[in-house]
Amino acid sequence: MSVRLESLRLVRSRRPLVAAGALLLFLVLMLVGFYTYAQSRTGGAAEFRYTFENRSYFNGLTFALYAFYFGFVLLLPIFAATEGGAQLAGDTGAGTLALFLTRPVSKARLFFTRFLVAAGYTTLVTGLFLAVALALGLVAVGWGDLRLYPGVLQMTDRPQSLAQGEALMRFALVWPAASLALLAPLAFAFWISSLAKSAVNAVSTAAALYLVLYLVAEVHFFAELRPWLFTSHAAYWRELLQETPDLEALLRHASASLGFTCLFLALAFRRFRRREEGA
Amino acid sequence: MDVMALERRFGGRRALVGVELEVRAGEIVGLVGPNGSGKTTLLRVLAGMLRPTAGTVRVAGFEPVAEREEVMRVARFAFAPPALLENLSAREHLEHLAALGGGKVERGEVARVLALVGLAERADERVRAFSFGMRQRLALALALVPRPRLLVLDEPTEGLDPLAVLELRGILARLRAEHGLAILLSSHLLIEIDQLVDRMLVLSEGRMLFTGRPAELTAASERVRWRVSDAERAIELAAARGLAGTRVGADELEFAAECAPLAEVAEWLARGGVELHEYRRTRATLEEALRARLGAERSA
Repeated sequence: MSVRLESLRLVRSRRPLVAAGALLLFLVLMLVGFYTYAQSRTGGAAEFRYTFENRSYFNGLTFALYAFYFGFVLLLPIFAATEGGAQLAGDTGAGTLALFLTRPVSKARLFFTRFLVAAGYTTLVTGLFLAVALALGLVAVGWGDLRLYPGVLQMTDRPQSLAQGEALMRFALVWPAASLALLAPLAFAFWISSLAKSAVNAVSTAAALYLVLYLVAEVHFFAELRPWLFTSHAAYWRELLQETPDLEALLRHASASLGFTCLFLALAFRRFRRREEGA
Repeated sequence: MDVMALERRFGGRRALVGVELEVRAGEIVGLVGPNGSGKTTLLRVLAGMLRPTAGTVRVAGFEPVAEREEVMRVARFAFAPPALLENLSAREHLEHLAALGGGKVERGEVARVLALVGLAERADERVRAFSFGMRQRLALALALVPRPRLLVLDEPTEGLDPLAVLELRGILARLRAEHGLAILLSSHLLIEIDQLVDRMLVLSEGRMLFTGRPAELTAASERVRWRVSDAERAIELAAARGLAGTRVGADELEFAAECAPLAEVAEWLARGGVELHEYRRTRATLEEALRARLGAERSA
């Protein structure tokens, strides 16, 4: 299985275009929300640049953080699930898996090449999303220091601030950290994909299960379950944007996320290696 | 390729029972049977996609499930209907898929095979615009690059126009003659099987109904017919000689193939006052013979 062939198939599919369009639309909506929220809440009494948190809170970096965070928890995992689900199940449903299985290439190579390309694509989409969010923040609002206040993102219980240069460097680290976190939903979708016989079933099941598990992880009733859910560990990259990152917590959650990735991949590969085609 | 006492079950249903098959270098073997007879299951077992429940399968000495890669280095399978990568062109299919597994394919070889299957003109068009017949041609091209020692084709003539079927027949015959390829092909078109294969395996409900040369299947249906001036009298005369005939028309009788030769028959009949107008041997077509076998099998 060649990376070149899989990459060519990905580029020629509509998935990258759909992902790019959806993420851009999301960023524009977030920007509109930022500009209009204070206006609608205060009946025009406040300047349009005021946010619902604090006027000094709003700048391009804050916008990028908000947009990236909400995109990360709700949009990017869905794209990861779509990509993962479309792989094995897509080829099974279309019958094209036989094209590859009738070539002298191992199932391990077939499987891991696909995962590699899907992981590379997810990393690229994540980086692009973050870069566009930052660029949009710069063009529409202008950068400044990144200020964190207690609030919606639940990142801090006291006001914090990172100088612009430092914050941009931290954002650069957020990219690989967030990409690594997205491998867990991607591997989860691969597992579902190895069980399903059509891409539609695999994608919808993976996306639905991700959303359910994400909500369960967020609901306080199930706080005890959190360590056992891969969705609870995903947002560890936020630690990188603290004044003083808690590296121990960051590593703990990153390890847990990587552990879930390996577990899902092992389950998916075991299923793919053992299953019969056309049974 | 050697298949011995092959059995494959799906739950409680036996899809293949006691199947034996041998395909040697330079031989073309046909796989025939109605829908649901187990043809595709057999091909998938040979390709290592399904595990046999019992029995032995060896392709070029390798076990297809455990040694699939080794099998695919010498054998090429083209399943029906042809599933292709919709966003790739015919040329890209050949270049990328043929290279899987480490083989490097020359551009000239790709062009040669595309020309061979009649796709040279549309080599750079994406497959999604291809008709079913063109897909079949591309599937055949894919099976030929790099050239295998064993070719397994599932319904290769389906969707092809008569001229293309003729071309395919020529290609397969040439591959066998020039390169000693072993070819196993499943087909519903019995006329193709009849004209192309050395031997055939007929499956019915997963069991072997017949294996051998197509001529052997039709030979069993051979009969002798006499057209005579007096059918009643001719039956009496034949019965006196120990021949059991049946009337198949006002003046026509049918006998088993081992009936006495023409000169002898003409002589007895003349002595008994009956004129013999016609003496001919009839043989069922492959399709008729196969239908008769299937009918007998079902009623049994």
